Amino acid sequence: MTSSDVRDAVRDATAARAPLRIAGRGTWLHAGRPVNATRTLSLSDLGGVVHYEPGDFTLTARAGTTLGELTSATLPHRQFLALDPFGDPSGTLGATVATAASGPLAYAFGGPRDNVIGLEVVTGDGAIVRCGGRVVKNVAGFDLTRLFTGAWGTLGVITEVSVRLRALPAVDETYAMAVDDRPDQLSALIAALRVASIAPLAMDLASPLLASRVGAGSTTTLLVRLAGNAASVRAQRRVLDTFGDVHDMPVDVWNIVRTAEPASAIVARLSARPSRMASVWTDAREAMAGVPGAMMIASVGRGIARCVLPETTPDAARRLARCDATVIFEQLPAALWKEIAPSPVSDRLSRDIRERFDPAHVLNPGVLGEAVAP
Amino acid sequence: MAMAALPISEAASVALSPALERAASRLASIVGPRAILSRPSELVTYSADGLPFYRKRPALAVFPETREQLIAVVRALAEERVPFVPRGAGTGLSGGALAENDAVVIGLNRLRRIISIDPENRRAVVEPGAVNAGLTRAASEYGLHYAPDPSSQTACTIGGNVAENAGGPHCLKYGVTLNHVIALTVILPDGELVSLGSTEGERDGYDLLGAFVGSEGCFGVAVDVTVRLVKNPESVRTLLADYTAIVDAARAVSAIIASGVVPAAMEMMDGPTIRAVEASIYAAGYPVDADAVLLVELDGLAAGLEEDVALVERLCREAGARSVRVARDEAERARLWQGRKKAFGAMGRISPDLVVQDAVVPRTRLPDVLAEIHRIAQETGVLVCNVFHAGDGNLHPNIAYDARNPEATARVHHAMRAIMNACIAAGGTITGEHGVGLDKLDYMPLVFTDDTLDAMCRLRDVFDPERRANPGKVVPVRSCREWRMAPNTRRGELPA
Repeated sequence: MTSSDVRDAVRDATAARAPLRIAGRGTWLHAGRPVNATRTLSLSDLGGVVHYEPGDFTLTARAGTTLGELTSATLPHRQFLALDPFGDPSGTLGATVATAASGPLAYAFGGPRDNVIGLEVVTGDGAIVRCGGRVVKNVAGFDLTRLFTGAWGTLGVITEVSVRLRALPAVDETYAMAVDDRPDQLSALIAALRVASIAPLAMDLASPLLASRVGAGSTTTLLVRLAGNAASVRAQRRVLDTFGDVHDMPVDVWNIVRTAEPASAIVARLSARPSRMASVWTDAREAMAGVPGAMMIASVGRGIARCVLPETTPDAARRLARCDATVIFEQLPAALWKEIAPSPVSDRLSRDIRERFDPAHVLNPGVLGEAVAP
Repeated sequence: MAMAALPISEAASVALSPALERAASRLASIVGPRAILSRPSELVTYSADGLPFYRKRPALAVFPETREQLIAVVRALAEERVPFVPRGAGTGLSGGALAENDAVVIGLNRLRRIISIDPENRRAVVEPGAVNAGLTRAASEYGLHYAPDPSSQTACTIGGNVAENAGGPHCLKYGVTLNHVIALTVILPDGELVSLGSTEGERDGYDLLGAFVGSEGCFGVAVDVTVRLVKNPESVRTLLADYTAIVDAARAVSAIIASGVVPAAMEMMDGPTIRAVEASIYAAGYPVDADAVLLVELDGLAAGLEEDVALVERLCREAGARSVRVARDEAERARLWQGRKKAFGAMGRISPDLVVQDAVVPRTRLPDVLAEIHRIAQETGVLVCNVFHAGDGNLHPNIAYDARNPEATARVHHAMRAIMNACIAAGGTITGEHGVGLDKLDYMPLVFTDDTLDAMCRLRDVFDPERRANPGKVVPVRSCREWRMAPNTRRGELPA
């Protein structure tokens, strides 16, 4: 499969008025929003690294390349792509960029918008657009790369992605610490951590159920990932020790966290300015109280709580939707989308962008909750 | 592409079109008669930016002082359908802030308030004309700073930085403007006020904020900007390594990047630059017989920093450094940086005119490209000074010349194009932080396909369907599809 095949598929779909559901491997990050499509365009055959010059710390791969394959390619050079979205490593690079999915490492490295340096995209009118480039700094022209990143495939099918890579740190350790998550105590702890002499790659609060899944006990637990040279990590560890009883964790803990969600779960992200993290945590915990199987993980530095509920608990999802925070649902039972998740692309600019990049509405129509012509 | 500066007539007044006449009187009633300029002599300052190649005189320049005035100005221009160009401090290096004589410059330098600083969330809200270094100064009492630090930071504005997606030496570790803007309130060219990004957590949907940052004034005017502030590092160490061969310095850059240490900044200056700096009042104590010096800054937590300094020092020596000096104190550190920050000014001393160029290459290609630039300089007989962000592969080959000499000017233009072609051939791009503006319009088709340029036109048309905001910049008009398909129509004559 090549980019030209994707272009042909998009043109065929337009000619046949047969909208496409765009899929990577189709294994994870499937949008729960109902897509009004009659065909599926799978990019699973559009895989492989196109260009990798380790000395440049940049890599270009086709969209269907899995994150696991990228790790295999970069690890021998002691490099990695600093994107760790929730899901397992069979997810694709294209899907990660299309959904702007990020994980715990976003605290230190940002999300796809901060790590993607170039894209090749087939737009809805069948044009092949190559934006950005293979260099780490680039302001040539309007920033289409950012526009397509996180557009859920509705402006174009991502066929190739260039990313920046990072060097693996000499030392990479994760520590766990049980915390008192009553609002005042939690708020004080987070404020103190933010000014402490530490520079974590990730710092996440795990709810008791999730903490027990990773073997960190059965109370609310702070997971802190420290990296750098040995002297730096040692000193940061000593700083952490002043906050509580710190345990060493296997670094694998992050993979467990990322794959802990059942495929069918309801997933919501609640966010606010970081100083409100403790209050968002408390609100979300109350909204999910008494729901067996509910879990939460919060990136405390970014002020984002990720809430996971069994699909059979719509009332808890409704309660989350009413929390005093920005609530973004990643996955919901089909019937709930319209009720509690307004479309994020209903404003004039977004509607106009959609019209200009996918005039025939053949790309993932409905995936962003937008009105779809019957 | 570069052209010789054109003389501008100094007539006392110029007849305005009826629409501009109406606009002028409406603008005067919004901002007051003293905050609008229309006489050619008053408009001289607004007829150029930091790049000396171009001069264009706008019809008017208007200087709103409040948010309400800015909004009213843009709405009045929308109603009169008059083109406009937003302008910050005019320090840009791509001709991006220049306006044709049918357009109005909206000067934003009076909208310079820092509206609020929120130390707990490490962010600030500023007006577009707030000066970059002024924000860092205001944030310093909280132990914070604004990280993007273009060389013009003592004058340039945050609004201008947003328009250009400005960089600077410390972007190597901390990222460019895009990575530091959280939210914007924008007035679109048609007068609609929109908020992009979010101050209250994540923003779902299309990344309109990401699209706006770096749009060079073509998508509207920022009314306020919410930026991220960064905690001041506990400790900072600055090293200077000197080399008798610039390729050795380039190899040191590669070795440091590969080691996994991420310096806060990694800057290179070549022999001609060093000698210009050392002959100026900004002398920093660089060795004048060196072919290149590498300035490396490491910062962060105090613990572990000395280990990184030792590693970088070793890598510099292994690449062939004659000496490596670690600044002993803040005064020495400031002096080492002063030479770098004032290099452009120092080069200005050695000849009347200076072209500051901007291109990016993959970092492994630095040695080849620097050698190629050297070859081009010799072949064309021009003096190229290289001072640049080596860690990002962001080159600034600058050419000192005398614009009064047409033959020399022609050689400069020839050399510039050859250098740009060499950077593109190496897999690079035509601008890393200065923007396309007017200067690089003709290079755009060298790095982007017709379909890609057309997609850029489509994005612009979402924000500004009438193409009244900073017309004629960034994307060549002939790249837009409706122009390509119907080149004889009136619509095709609209500037891109």
